[in-house]
Amino acid sequence: MRADFIRIYKSVHTWTGIVSGMALFIAFYAGALTVFKEPIRDWATPPAAILQPVPMDEVQSLIVQTLANTPATGRGAVVRLQGDQAVPRLEWTVRDPNADDHDDSAARHYEARLDAAGKVQVSEQQPSRLVEFIDVLHRVVGLPVDSDPNRWVMGVISALYFVALVSGVVVLLPSLVKDFLAFRVGRNLKRMWLDAHNVVGIVSLPFHIVMALSAVVFAFHDQIYAVQDQLVHEGRWAQAFAGPRGNPAEAPARNPAEMLTPTKLVRIAEVASPGFEPSGLQYSRVTGPRPTVRVWGKHPEGISPRALGGFAEIDPYSGELLSADYLSGAQSTPNLIISSFFALHMASFGGLAVLWLYFLLGLAGAWLFYGGNLLWVETRRKAQRRGADMPVQRRDTAIMAAATVGVCLGCMAGISLTMAAAKWLPGRVDDLAAWHVGIYYGVFFASVGWAFCRGAARAAVSLLWLTAACTAAIPLSSLLGWLAPGSGSWADGALLGVDLTALAGALALVWMARATARRVRNGPQDSVWSVRRREVAAT
Amino acid sequence: MPGAPTESTPARRARPVPIRPDWVSKTLAGVLLGLSLALTCSGLLAALLIGMPVPVSGQLAMWLVPPVWLGVLSFVYFFSSGLRAWLWLGGVNVLALGIWWLVRPGGVA
Repeated sequence: MRADFIRIYKSVHTWTGIVSGMALFIAFYAGALTVFKEPIRDWATPPAAILQPVPMDEVQSLIVQTLANTPATGRGAVVRLQGDQAVPRLEWTVRDPNADDHDDSAARHYEARLDAAGKVQVSEQQPSRLVEFIDVLHRVVGLPVDSDPNRWVMGVISALYFVALVSGVVVLLPSLVKDFLAFRVGRNLKRMWLDAHNVVGIVSLPFHIVMALSAVVFAFHDQIYAVQDQLVHEGRWAQAFAGPRGNPAEAPARNPAEMLTPTKLVRIAEVASPGFEPSGLQYSRVTGPRPTVRVWGKHPEGISPRALGGFAEIDPYSGELLSADYLSGAQSTPNLIISSFFALHMASFGGLAVLWLYFLLGLAGAWLFYGGNLLWVETRRKAQRRGADMPVQRRDTAIMAAATVGVCLGCMAGISLTMAAAKWLPGRVDDLAAWHVGIYYGVFFASVGWAFCRGAARAAVSLLWLTAACTAAIPLSSLLGWLAPGSGSWADGALLGVDLTALAGALALVWMARATARRVRNGPQDSVWSVRRREVAAT
Repeated sequence: MPGAPTESTPARRARPVPIRPDWVSKTLAGVLLGLSLALTCSGLLAALLIGMPVPVSGQLAMWLVPPVWLGVLSFVYFFSSGLRAWLWLGGVNVLALGIWWLVRPGGVA
């Protein structure tokens, strides 16, 4: 390949990478945790909120009574299933009609349970929304709300990320055979970081291409559909998703008491997709003209179209299977292809091993962007060095180094601390969700501010220690809950994996903090990662 | 790009003409003509999948847009100049639109 192309694509890689890098770090770090959204949700749920499951059909009375008297259940009321049992609780959210399509931050959450007398008790809940918040950080690159404009920001970042991937490969291609798996540890630290950046980038390239393209789709699908409906489908797309035809007033009023029992509904899904493992029932508009119940679940050998799984859509009165388009294990080939795009983003295939693989690939991705920024800084340092005198460094490298350290470590520390807080906030504050958001952004902005005040070198060490401490607070909170049950915190042996993972993360961060402390004291003085340069300059 | 000077053909010289970065015009060509090409390709796919229910073929057609669009944007810098990028991509767009005009549902064919 001509050197011209390499040079041009190096510029493309540099600029797309530097613009999108920090946003992508947040998306990948929070995204890696979102892989384990459900275990973290369970980990953060106080024991008082956990109900003992009952045989599945015992919840029918709760479902029937609640749905007969509660017309506004939003997108549907959900019962969670565990094996052949059900959690005796019906949950639904009612969204702010003015809120954005994906924005649940203003939604109101309700749950219905039966009291001792068998009467339905509906209560409004204040869920912590901890895992939803981490998910939103990952969806909109660190912004607080999953709204249209924020998703467009994410879409532009993802598009830049795709171009950065292609340009990075173009730059590396001519020397790929020579450089691939060449990991040159030695005095040239920049070479070593570049080798590591390359090998991680190439090895996880398919994962990154999938993430970049699907993220662009998640950001812009509404707009693409709208344009295509005008130009390609001539209005048939919107028509296909129009509401139920006919006058709802003319439809016969349905009595939820005539609905099939959960066991029968689940059985219909299992017959349609043998091996399907149900995890929930979602009832929608069951008194209206088009009543549906979705039997959600996963097929252990199939792929799931969504992170939560797939579903069979059933008429709860007649038992007719209305749609198997999203039913894991029983999809038509075209639907399977579409679902695979989602599954490949959300790791909803292949079980636990794939979840861990995605967790590690997500962390490796975050590291890739962090390392890319460091390389940008180091490249500009090298160009400045001449003669024996200490050169005056460019301001932009110092700013970029400080921003990288502050944003990346601030994000990690903030997520860790807000997670640990899940064990202390319940019962002490009213608005859990606001506290989680506040703790995250408090730590995040304080870290960014600290990094700019102190400079990258000094701040890196203290922020790494802070991140290690915040992350260690996760297992320590559980430990305290176990040792002192009166403290308000608690421990759950089944979710020890969350604590152990956080502990491993904290230890890794301690190691990084110590290594960085050595570097800033003993490393080359002309580096932004040296504290000595400042001291020399000050004397 | 109308009005731009026609480029002199680099008739077999000893050293190839340097590739012009032409950041603005190449990037615009990739973003605009890449998007129009992607939408046309999605129209072609939808025409190909005409027997399928619209909710399914429509989703497949939507998923085709970002890879084509960003693929064009990513490789646009291989053109030797911005003008060539516009001419080639414009030509491919016209060609794709022509095919779509022929095969579109309810069209000529």
